[in-house]
Amino acid sequence: MTTDNQEKKSSLVDNVLERIKSGQIRMRPKFYFILKTILAIGGIMLIGGFTLFLISFIAFHLRASGIWYLPGFGPQGFGAYLKLLPWFLIFIGVILILVLEILAKRFALIYRRPIFYSLLAIILIALIGGFLIDKTPLHPGLFLQARRGELPLMAPVYREFGMPRFENVHRGIVEELTENGFILRKTDQELLTVILFPDTQFPFGKEIKEGDSIVVMGERDDGRVRAFAIRRIDDQFETFEHRLPRPPMK
Amino acid sequence: MQVGNVNLFGVLIHRYEEKMIRYSRKFFSDQEDIKDVVQEIFLKAYENIKSFDTKRKFSSWFYRIAHNELVNALRKKRKILPLLDLDIFLPHYFHDDTLRRNIDKQDIKEIIDKCLDKLDLKYKEPLILYYFEELSYQEIADILQVPISTVGVRMKRAKEKIKSIYKISGYNL
Repeated sequence: MTTDNQEKKSSLVDNVLERIKSGQIRMRPKFYFILKTILAIGGIMLIGGFTLFLISFIAFHLRASGIWYLPGFGPQGFGAYLKLLPWFLIFIGVILILVLEILAKRFALIYRRPIFYSLLAIILIALIGGFLIDKTPLHPGLFLQARRGELPLMAPVYREFGMPRFENVHRGIVEELTENGFILRKTDQELLTVILFPDTQFPFGKEIKEGDSIVVMGERDDGRVRAFAIRRIDDQFETFEHRLPRPPMK
Repeated sequence: MQVGNVNLFGVLIHRYEEKMIRYSRKFFSDQEDIKDVVQEIFLKAYENIKSFDTKRKFSSWFYRIAHNELVNALRKKRKILPLLDLDIFLPHYFHDDTLRRNIDKQDIKEIIDKCLDKLDLKYKEPLILYYFEELSYQEIADILQVPISTVGVRMKRAKEKIKSIYKISGYNL
């Protein structure tokens, strides 16, 4: 039995050494492992950067479309908010965060901790970073460039998400006050007649004047909107909203 | 060895082959399977030897390669392995009771050996690495690339499972 074991062992050693000596198996160079680590770090940075861009873009889309402000309009506003969230973009964001977690798991700093903590850290960094980028003029600037036709690749994305057309949420600037409401110039320069009713809600104050940036929630009927709720807004996008090029006068 | 000295690698094989055969035997019963897996472990170790960081413990690096090869071999044999495990996901309380573990070692090694086949891989492997390969919790955590608290939890659950398998009352597991 002992001789048998010894024979088996020596044949194993011989087999391994033979395959190495014959050149079937080669030692990978140190550079190969350094490159793998560089690629992993590069991948993390690239995907991390894209995740930050995506999250900041989602935040921009929510502000520019007015969806961001809907929860302030009560349960009805919150329902519309959930319905209008860009779920497809959020789904891509979740996938990117999972890919980041998988890539980061290669490193001892990450795998020595429960996934719960590393995932939470990645989500927090992505959200905080994304919202900080949203505070910069990056997206409104890109949005303006896309509108001027200077960003052929990004233009469809900003057209699709930067200026969405919703039936019951409208963001724009008060162009002119009327007897029973006002004219709203939307981000895409479309003019809407907003009609106020006694039951129209103003959760953040009634004072509206020409040039104000506002969000209106209300059913649209052709070019008219029956206002359910209105709020004046003051955010980063507002500055750019006033700089949007107007269509030529007819 | 990292400069490519094959004879020195032969010394390493001699040093680890007994351990690797013993380790693989806990997962496979067929002699050919064991031989194939052990060979693959040594070939992979040779191929990747330059990835070993000399500031770290060699045995942990080597067992990590062995673990990967065993998992690959088990997958090929269609032994189902879980994709996501909540043990790694959630934080756990971990108390490092070395004294008690040393007493345990003397008592339960034999009984564990008898019921390894009835345990899932995630419970079986830490037990083998701890009781048979005599590695520390930190080394096992690095080999399996899981938090040390997860190793602690798996060891605890593995012992509970063995207890329930054997229904031995009063046995200090």
